[in-house]
Amino acid sequence: MADFLTTAALFILAVTAIALLRVLRSRITAERMMAVQLLGTGGAAVLLLLGAASGSAAASDVALLLTLFAAFSCVAFVLGSAGQDADRTSSGEQP
Amino acid sequence: MALFDLALVALLLMLALRVVVEPDERSAIITFLAFGLLLGLAWVRLAAPDVALTEIAIGGGVTGILLLRAEAALRGRGKQAEPATRTGKLAVAAGSAAISAGLGFAVLTFSTPAPTLAPAAAQALPATGLGNPVTAVLLAFRALDTLLEKVVVLLALIGVWSLAPDALWGGAPDLKPAAVPGPLAYLGRVLPPFGVVIGVYMFWVGADAPGGTFQAGTVLAAMWLLVMMAGLHPPPDTTRWLLRLVLAGGPILFLAIAFLGFAFADGFLAYPKALAKPLILAIEAALTLSVAAALAMLVAGPARKAPAR
Repeated sequence: MADFLTTAALFILAVTAIALLRVLRSRITAERMMAVQLLGTGGAAVLLLLGAASGSAAASDVALLLTLFAAFSCVAFVLGSAGQDADRTSSGEQP
Repeated sequence: MALFDLALVALLLMLALRVVVEPDERSAIITFLAFGLLLGLAWVRLAAPDVALTEIAIGGGVTGILLLRAEAALRGRGKQAEPATRTGKLAVAAGSAAISAGLGFAVLTFSTPAPTLAPAAAQALPATGLGNPVTAVLLAFRALDTLLEKVVVLLALIGVWSLAPDALWGGAPDLKPAAVPGPLAYLGRVLPPFGVVIGVYMFWVGADAPGGTFQAGTVLAAMWLLVMMAGLHPPPDTTRWLLRLVLAGGPILFLAIAFLGFAFADGFLAYPKALAKPLILAIEAALTLSVAAALAMLVAGPARKAPAR
């Protein structure tokens, strides 16, 4: 069973990697940000499978945090774009 | 399993290379974020879930905000003046490669039964009442290091705060962008309840399983930053006594318990055996809040608004 779970984890990692490199090649920055979201989902799946394969409960905690921070990094990105708009309209948020 | 590790390492190297060669700063930062999240996977494979949690929280969350804010502040300022020439870049590349090669060589030449204190630490674990050896090392066996580390974080915060102009000293930092996009405000309402629960869980589980003050503090800091950035609650004035109490509370409680060790246990930073676990949990709780406040205020930066009188 552990072998099967590890193989499944490897498969998901490979699929995520291919998709990740494809998305990162996009010219639109917002689309590249989607690569991080993809890693949040794919990475959590890999971690859960590895945790089940090795019987370590901590892996699911790591998966939990990965999902949370993948969503959080979206905010960081939106804020960066918002800063850009502010620069154009006023003299910017940082004088 | 070896195949999985090879695939992971190949992907990490590929992402690291992209971070370096990417000409656009914002794309490089995003790739760096992805790299940080993926590095968490590598730490799990190395059987170090405590490090994995920290790496994901710091590398994927707080550093990302810090870098993207710095990039937004610097955008369009003197970009034409590229100081590095081709030879300069090559020299930097050669230097970095030499450091990497040296580190790799050092790791490969470790003596095979590595000198370790792990058995001794595991043997003394029951005396602390904790189940997580990492927490035991951080808060019992090497508590002095942890204490100094938290004080260093506070010193860094004082350094950041002192960058404020005289007129704004004691005021609040400004995190909210000129216009908050709708999705950010929505996320600011939806994500923090989950994040706070996860943060408290990280702190509580840290006594017996991977997790602990720093991870929990980072999660709470990220959630506070989210609320401030979405404009749901303004950042506090840096002179607010409540903020300063939370910031200093962790190290003060730690120091107080450390000195009480002279009276009730074997000396500085020693815990009475029966009370070891409750004392460690109390220190951890206060430190978690301190770390959360300090990290959030570090990212928020120096004061940008005049203090409310």
